[in-house]
Parts: sequence; structure tokens; C-alpha cells
Amino acid sequence: MNEKTIRTIRTALLLAFILLVIGLLVYSRIRAYSLAPTMKSEDFSKYAWYEIPIYYLWNYFSHAWICLLFAFTAAGLVYEFAPKEAITKYMGSSKALGYAIGAGFAPLFTVCSCTMVPLFAGILYTGAGIGPAITFLLMAPAANILTILITGEFISWEIAGVRIPVSLITAVLAGIIISKTPWGKAVEKEHQIAQNPTNDQKTVEIVKPPLDERLISALKFGGYLAKQILPYFLIGLVAVSYVNAYLPQEIVEGYLTGFTGVLLASVIGGPLYTPTLVEIVLGKSLLDLGMSKGALLSWLMGQPYDIPNMVAVSRVVKWKVVLTYALIAWSCSVAFGLAYGLVSGSL
Amino acid sequence: MKEVNVEVIGVDPPCMRCQSARKAVEKAAERLRAEGINVKIEKANIVSKEVIGKYGVLVSPAIAINGAVKIMGRVPSPEEVERLIRESAK
Repeated sequence: MNEKTIRTIRTALLLAFILLVIGLLVYSRIRAYSLAPTMKSEDFSKYAWYEIPIYYLWNYFSHAWICLLFAFTAAGLVYEFAPKEAITKYMGSSKALGYAIGAGFAPLFTVCSCTMVPLFAGILYTGAGIGPAITFLLMAPAANILTILITGEFISWEIAGVRIPVSLITAVLAGIIISKTPWGKAVEKEHQIAQNPTNDQKTVEIVKPPLDERLISALKFGGYLAKQILPYFLIGLVAVSYVNAYLPQEIVEGYLTGFTGVLLASVIGGPLYTPTLVEIVLGKSLLDLGMSKGALLSWLMGQPYDIPNMVAVSRVVKWKVVLTYALIAWSCSVAFGLAYGLVSGSL
Repeated sequence: MKEVNVEVIGVDPPCMRCQSARKAVEKAAERLRAEGINVKIEKANIVSKEVIGKYGVLVSPAIAINGAVKIMGRVPSPEEVERLIRESAK
């Protein structure tokens, strides 16, 4: 067999696998099969303490594997086929374009601080400035494809749909405000590099590999993300199972509803470092235990200003900038949580 | 003996994907050395002003061959790196 035939066969097999994954998700939709765990708090009482995580994880993965498989496959594919060259090329060109790209393309770069902090620094250095850089930074963890898919499948597509525009408004607002502050401007001045316009187009000439290699690399990246995220996810789920089993409903209903509920959810949702995606599952169990929808939105919006994220960023810019954006993101999470609670009638 | 300069551009401290990219380049370099192509591997920091001034914003990990970024945002196979280096050495 010559190389071309082998490549064609490989491409076909990979595409078949991807179609199978999409097909599974569609099939589960048609059969109205729940992809979220179905165990209720009262089900837990019949198990001993050491049995709780086992039964919960079993219940969880028997339902969630299709969704997780799809999410990681999709994240890998989107990342591989996202027009990275276009993004990096236009990122530094103008302010408005910088904001648009920072907000619009951040969701394509999935949860990986490995990619996020360098891009943040890159946007800052090349001249688009601190505003678009902050927008990118806040948008990436809040509305990336993995987060949105899992929020939609596990909680509801309504809250996933709300999460995108409110994250967008928060991210752009924080970017604009910080670019107007004296300390934001100082950082911008300090980092900007005079670019030589004659050489910047010549030195990047990305070579596109054949389709089969791109597909393999996409699936590999999906696998890599899964390997990075799932161990923490597993530990998080064990914690969630105990929350479900032992946290009395009265406490959740008492504290995580109303105005104080939103406030409390936004305060613990941020600094409390929940590994990516666990905040969604934990949010779902708290919702089942009686947390209001408004508080849930605030809770989910806490992700971008968690502590590890802030520490990584503070290595590039000053603490003052980090604290400003954290404060803005927090205020927005409270404001939008309250607004959503009022509109949806669940505060 | 031909010489090719390869920069592996990643974050510092290196993340897993940047390390895998470096390994792929090292493997490719080893094979090419036998054919008489000398590959010089350098590590560059993606958030340094030198790199950004030279290449602009990049997605890590990136690989530049003879001063031109050929791969970014993914980990290539050693075969692919080998192919690219061989093309640049011509």
C-alpha cells in the first residue's frame, strides 16, 4: 500500500470515530437519556459513608461518559482547527479588533493555563494593550467550549446560554475599566515593545500537516486535556458526593437563596479553588439541594478570579491590576446573579 | 555538514506539552544527525520580549526552524519535525 492510501484510510477511520461520538450524543438526546447523574440526596442515606463515593461515581460516569467523551473530543477538534495564525496576526493590530478577538476567540482556547498566560502576555506586549488582554483572560475560563458544553449538559442549556453573554459583558467591562486606570496604563507603557513592521509577517509561516495528522493531533489534545482534568475532577466528585449526602437541605435553602445567597455564592465561588468543571457538578448538586438560580450563576461566574489564576497573572502584571479585575469580576457576578435571579424568578 | 537552527518556544517553567514538543525535536535531530544534518536546538521563552518582538504573539508550544515559526499550538510527531527540518536544510 502506498502512503496516500494509508493516509486516506486513517483519515476515514478517524472521521468515523468522531461521527460515532457525535452520533452517541445525538442518540442520547433522541432517547431523552439523562447525561447528568440521577441520584438524589435521599438515595444516599441507605449507604455507609465509604460506599457513598463509589455509588455516586458509578451513577455519575454511567450517565456522563457520553457527554465527557464528546466534550473532550470537541475541545480537541476546535483547538486544532481554530485559526490560530489569524488570531495571533491580528491580535496586536488595533484596540477594537483586540477586544473582539480577545472575547470572540478566547472560548476556542480551552482550559489550559499553559496557553492562557502566554497569550495574555503576548496581547499585552504587542500593542493591543492591557484592555483586550484582560478581556481575553477573563473570557477564556468563563466561556470556553468545554465549560459551556458541560454546563449545558449537566445543569441546563438555559444557564449555559446566560453564562456566555454575562461573561462577555464582564470581560469587556473589566478590560475597558482597567485600561483607563493609571496603574493599568503604567503596565501598558512598561510592556509595550516597538515592533518592526517589516519583519513580523515573514517569520511566521505555519506548515499545515495532512488531515489525518491534524485529526490525530486534535484527538491527542483532547486526551491530554482529559488526563489533566479528570484526576482532579474525580477527587472533586468524591467531595460532591459527600456534599450531596450530608449537607442538610435546610442549610442550602437558608443560606444560598435571596440576596445573601448570591453574595455568599459569589464569595465562595471565586477564591475557593475548584478544579475546572467541578464547580459545575458542585453547582448542580447545590441547585438540587435548593440553591437559587441567581446564586448558581454567581457561583459559576467565580471561576475566572480564583486564586491560582490570579497568581499566574500577577507574575506578568502588577498586583494592583489583578485586584482591580478581580473586584470588577466579583461585582459583576453579584450584579448578574441578582438580575438573573429576579428575571428567572428564582432568587 | 549542513546546520539547522531549531527553537522550541514554550512557557517557563516548561509545561507538559512544551516538553513533549522538545522531545519530538530531539528525536528528529538524532535521526537527522546520522544523515549529516546538524540540528542545533534552543529553548526560547514565549513570554520574553525577544520572542514576541521577533515573532509576535504565539500559541505555545511553538517550533521555529531557521528563524521562521513552522508549528504552533500543538505537539508535532518526530516524523513531522524531521520532514520540516529536512525541507529547511535543502
